Amino acid sequence: MGDVAHGGEERRSPLRLPEDPRARLAMALILAFGFAALGRVVTLPAALVAALALAWASGDPARVLRGLRPAVVLAGAFLIVLPLVAGPTVLWQAGPLRLRAEGLEAGLLVAGRLLAIVTVTLSLLATLPPHQLAAGLRGLRVPTLLADLMLLTLRYMAELRDTLLRARLARRLRGGRPGWRDLPGQGLAMAAALIRGQRRAETVWAAMRLRGHAAGLTAPLPQMTGRDRAGIALAALLAGAVLLLDRAG
Amino acid sequence: MHLPDGLVPVGLAAAGYAGSAALLGLSFQRIARLPDPGAAMPRAAMLTAVFFAVSSMAVPVPPTTVHPMLAGLMGVLLGWFAVPAILVGLFLQAVLFGHGGLTTLGLNGLILAPAALICWAAWRVLAPRAPTLAAVVAGSGGVVLSLAVFVAFVLIGLPAEVDAAAERAALGVFVAAHLPLVLAEGVLVAVVLRVLARVEPGLLPRG
Repeated sequence: MGDVAHGGEERRSPLRLPEDPRARLAMALILAFGFAALGRVVTLPAALVAALALAWASGDPARVLRGLRPAVVLAGAFLIVLPLVAGPTVLWQAGPLRLRAEGLEAGLLVAGRLLAIVTVTLSLLATLPPHQLAAGLRGLRVPTLLADLMLLTLRYMAELRDTLLRARLARRLRGGRPGWRDLPGQGLAMAAALIRGQRRAETVWAAMRLRGHAAGLTAPLPQMTGRDRAGIALAALLAGAVLLLDRAG
Repeated sequence: MHLPDGLVPVGLAAAGYAGSAALLGLSFQRIARLPDPGAAMPRAAMLTAVFFAVSSMAVPVPPTTVHPMLAGLMGVLLGWFAVPAILVGLFLQAVLFGHGGLTTLGLNGLILAPAALICWAAWRVLAPRAPTLAAVVAGSGGVVLSLAVFVAFVLIGLPAEVDAAAERAALGVFVAAHLPLVLAEGVLVAVVLRVLARVEPGLLPRG
């Protein structure tokens, strides 16, 4: 969870992403659904190149690539398993293992779409400060309750994680067993963290309401600039072009 | 137990968004009927943070990994607020860590949120007579129900060419890997609810 707190300046690349969170959210959704609709392996490289360009434009491609690790593992699993179990056309055989053409194609499709979409998501959204993400959702007319809930969750997240870690460490120092073998202990730690956190959260929330935050915690965003609109248009164009290419074959 | 991006057809992913939006609308209606709808906000945020933190922790159960889901606990402690809380948690996991998926956010919401509401209903019926049993049912039931919906979505979403026997075997392994979690979450939720009832009964839902 260390990445949640966004800090430090982004390195500027010549191709820069829009800064408005509404534009980034819209771009992410357009591209993600566009790439999810791809049905042919030959168009995947275009989607992956576009996604990598976005990672580069995010100003912190190393962070995006680091964040991709779990998705790469999952994509690898699909690539290994599906060619062995899907389809009748055997391309290669070694003992009981049969590499099948249809499974290979399905594996490449699922893995390619997964990596392209996660790269787009991390490039456009994980590089935004979390409070901007909440403001962006609010700006896209997502109900206030959801945006506020997200903002408060982000506020308590680091604190709660620290409390849970401290409680776990304390139990281990007192001779408690780690992991699943100490479920009642884990439950006690969670309950204690909830009680402590709840008291503090109630106080903070009451203070916020007294200060007049009841109508929404996120600050209103300025109007989108031409660059922000151009970013959305470019995302729509890109998704449309890749889909056309996909359907044209 | 999240559906990743790229696995299910885009139509199913869009239908998931529609289904989650409908459930969210219903939950907002019910929340608006509360005497002070904002009062539950800090508790919902705290539990969303717990859900986020705990379900981001994968535990190896060979040959796969599983993580606590807490759908039952969210349902019991938040009631209708569990729906927005689960969706916010899933959204944060998807955009900050690429865990779950942006296109499958709606489907993942449908895997967990209805399970949370059903567990809440079961807990309300059972808790006055047998509170420990009610907590175990809520905790374990949340995992079982989520698992059932997840398997259904995977069966719909997997490529048609996948061999039926291989599909059944893979899903069987996946379900078996989650069986310890069914027991574990039952115990976990029972302990949490028992401690809350003794130390901070105000945190438990009334009525």
